[in-house]
Amino acid sequence: MEHEKQGFVSRYIFSFDHKMIGKQYFTLAMSMGFIGGILAVLIRLQLGFPSQPWPFLENLFPVGMASGIMTPEFYVSLFTMHGTIMVFFLLSLLPVSGFGNFLIPLQIGARDMAFPFLNMLSFWTVVPGAIIIIISFFVEGGAAASGWTAYPPLSGIRSAIPGSGLGQTLWLVGMIFFVASFTMGGLNFVVTILNLRTKGLRMMRMPLTTWAQFVVGILGLLSFPALAAGALLLTFDRSLGTSFFLPAGIFIGDTLMPHEGGTPLLWQHLFWFLGHPEVYIIMLPAMGFTSDILATFCRRPIFGYRSMVYAIMAIGTLSFLVWGHHMFVSGMSPFLGSLFVVTTLAIAIPSAVKAFNWLFTIARARIQFTSASLFGLGVVSLFVTGGLTGIFLGTNAVDIQLHDTYFVVGHFHFIMAGAGLFGAFGAVYYWYPKMFGRMLSERLGKIHFWITFVAYYAVFFPMHYLGVSGMMRRIYDPNVYEFLQPLQPVNLFITISAFVLFAGQLVFIYNYFVSMRRGAPATANPWNAAGLEWSAPAHPGHGNWEGEIPPAHRWPYDYSEPGKKRDFTPQWEA
Amino acid sequence: MADEPKGSRGSLQGIAMAVVIWAIVVLSSLYYVRYGVPELASDRGYLDNLYYVILGITGAAYILYQLALGYVIYRYRGDRPGAESSYWHESHKLELTWTIGTAAILIPIVFTGLIYWDRVRGPAPDDAVTVMAVGAQFQWDFHYPGADGEFGRFDPTLYAIDNQIGLDETDPAAADDWVLTNQLVIPVNRPARILMRSKDVQHAIFLPNFRVKQDLVPGMTTEVWFTPVKTGSYEVACAELCGLGHYRMRAFLEVMEESDYQQWLSDNAPAAVADAADPAADPPTASAE
Repeated sequence: MEHEKQGFVSRYIFSFDHKMIGKQYFTLAMSMGFIGGILAVLIRLQLGFPSQPWPFLENLFPVGMASGIMTPEFYVSLFTMHGTIMVFFLLSLLPVSGFGNFLIPLQIGARDMAFPFLNMLSFWTVVPGAIIIIISFFVEGGAAASGWTAYPPLSGIRSAIPGSGLGQTLWLVGMIFFVASFTMGGLNFVVTILNLRTKGLRMMRMPLTTWAQFVVGILGLLSFPALAAGALLLTFDRSLGTSFFLPAGIFIGDTLMPHEGGTPLLWQHLFWFLGHPEVYIIMLPAMGFTSDILATFCRRPIFGYRSMVYAIMAIGTLSFLVWGHHMFVSGMSPFLGSLFVVTTLAIAIPSAVKAFNWLFTIARARIQFTSASLFGLGVVSLFVTGGLTGIFLGTNAVDIQLHDTYFVVGHFHFIMAGAGLFGAFGAVYYWYPKMFGRMLSERLGKIHFWITFVAYYAVFFPMHYLGVSGMMRRIYDPNVYEFLQPLQPVNLFITISAFVLFAGQLVFIYNYFVSMRRGAPATANPWNAAGLEWSAPAHPGHGNWEGEIPPAHRWPYDYSEPGKKRDFTPQWEA
Repeated sequence: MADEPKGSRGSLQGIAMAVVIWAIVVLSSLYYVRYGVPELASDRGYLDNLYYVILGITGAAYILYQLALGYVIYRYRGDRPGAESSYWHESHKLELTWTIGTAAILIPIVFTGLIYWDRVRGPAPDDAVTVMAVGAQFQWDFHYPGADGEFGRFDPTLYAIDNQIGLDETDPAAADDWVLTNQLVIPVNRPARILMRSKDVQHAIFLPNFRVKQDLVPGMTTEVWFTPVKTGSYEVACAELCGLGHYRMRAFLEVMEESDYQQWLSDNAPAAVADAADPAADPPTASAE
């Protein structure tokens, strides 16, 4: 491989280097995540202080917050876009597209991804998607307002809600760009991992992060096309007068709609056929990061490596068979609902395997408390908390009461958003030295961790109380209902905690950008880690290794092997 | 060991992590029990029982796991005297134990859940009071079939200000039909069967005190049945995002004693029209599938 001298454009913009592309994804995902966080703060502002005027916000949102009071349609747009941005543009882009691209070649001993051009193309396909999503806030009617799940007819008929006009169209176009990009990425992951492993790196010697990315690549390839198909068909329904999702007899705003023959349930099936694997597309990389981080900082091999790999595969496979648990009360056949209970609760088994393996990795360890390991331990805690509440929701008889309440909101913010986000944070703290050749500030990292961990529980655990008490999701003002009025103190507590949580993330953003220039210079292997990626120079250039690519002589978890001088044996040492 | 990451062995972090996890477990659990499910007013108490069983199992798992996590973090922190880490990383016996153990705990939950689901979603008893809920942005109309027990046909072209449910008045079965807006009245201790359809987008009827929730899907008729066991006035909510007024799509459910209900019917329902029931009229219920 040869790498000629690069100009600014080919190095920083249309780069073919997987590491630069990974970093481009980081920047994009963090920017989108920041916007998604601001939306969350606004959502909580309304729920903590329903319909109070905030005159200064009128300058920012002249329509949505005219005279400083949030309108209901703006509120609906806020949580729609919060969900969309966070699920797709932060939690999928950062751990999968960002870390997948950055880490896979380094961890398997390859000079780059299998298709560098496709890689560049996939990044530059998602950028317009992100821009379109952001622009949709400023069009007439505002951004999409049918929830991140975009159920028709609300999303299918323009007069159903203001955001269902141009905003919804842009949402669909943005999603199609996203799917196109993500599918290219998934293909690249699978081909790279299958073909470009260095000498000696058998599949069962791969780090769990790479295992997770491998399965994620397959999940993305198989599930995202369903969303692409759904989004296209919905666009046809909206613009060309077809009726895939719209039945006869819909009457909105004194007008009988001309559609006939479609069914809204078809959309739900297509959406959740993507939607549920998507949860694991977010979760699996976080599980991989956590395993790698815990092994390194516990100075101990990951417990039950084989069962961890099988668990990843089992979760990946089962994730395609559970989508109906989002539809227990949708009008879908009750018999079908019963089948989905069985597959859904089966996922608890490989999940429990992971949780116990982590616990036994930490036991008998010699834990080093870095920002990375603290976030890794945080993942374990959040994952168990969020996983257990899934058992309520997966049992259809119990789901009837809890469905579409804040119990669900609390549940997925722990398991998917929380564990996913903590995993990504841990990964940034862990691999930052390899990304930028400098260390992040540990002091700021720990401040960030403690604020985030405590505030995260403070925000999302009480949501279970709200849900058990019956508070529905997606309502602009719970105080309309008498039975929800006593919950206002809980909502206020959550809102204040959410502000703290958001403020804590500013510490991270500051640390991330300032350390790029001012951080202490990193050595090639600052954590004494055993994985192959640490054999590359501190700040690897295009091509990753200057000389030969090191072979893999062992698995990446040889820590504290008895009879060895050092407490770790690198993967590349015989 | 040499080359430890700087500051990583400070005992403070490990102890703090353990204490914080323990504190979170204690506080979150103590507060959990302060927020109960809404007062039960239907015969679906068995769903609550299953909820409490799952709460007991997952609650115990939550508390034990997090306590153990805090403990191992405290116990195995890197700066403890004589700290050594073990190379031990596999035990088929242990791994098999927690795989089978988890499955063994889940299987009874799955089966109990399925049996209860079957009970909830099975056919309504014949003596049920039947009402058709019509959801619209942002109100509930409850369509009573009248004395003949048959719902009059509806026709979407007939939706109008004074005909919110699009009732076809020419259908003989419609003659004694009548509609209540944002109010549903049913007798206590008799099964209530609510058929539902939507005029525009999806809605979901949520009766928090009755453990009832079911989506209304345009183009389909869905249904749910339950038996109220307590009289009183209860709130009805929309639980599926249906537009900007979703949050205020609220109605009331009045549960009355049978005698009061009959009295209320004779006071409020339009007089039944003789030979209103036309056997040729369309059956009112389509299958939920």
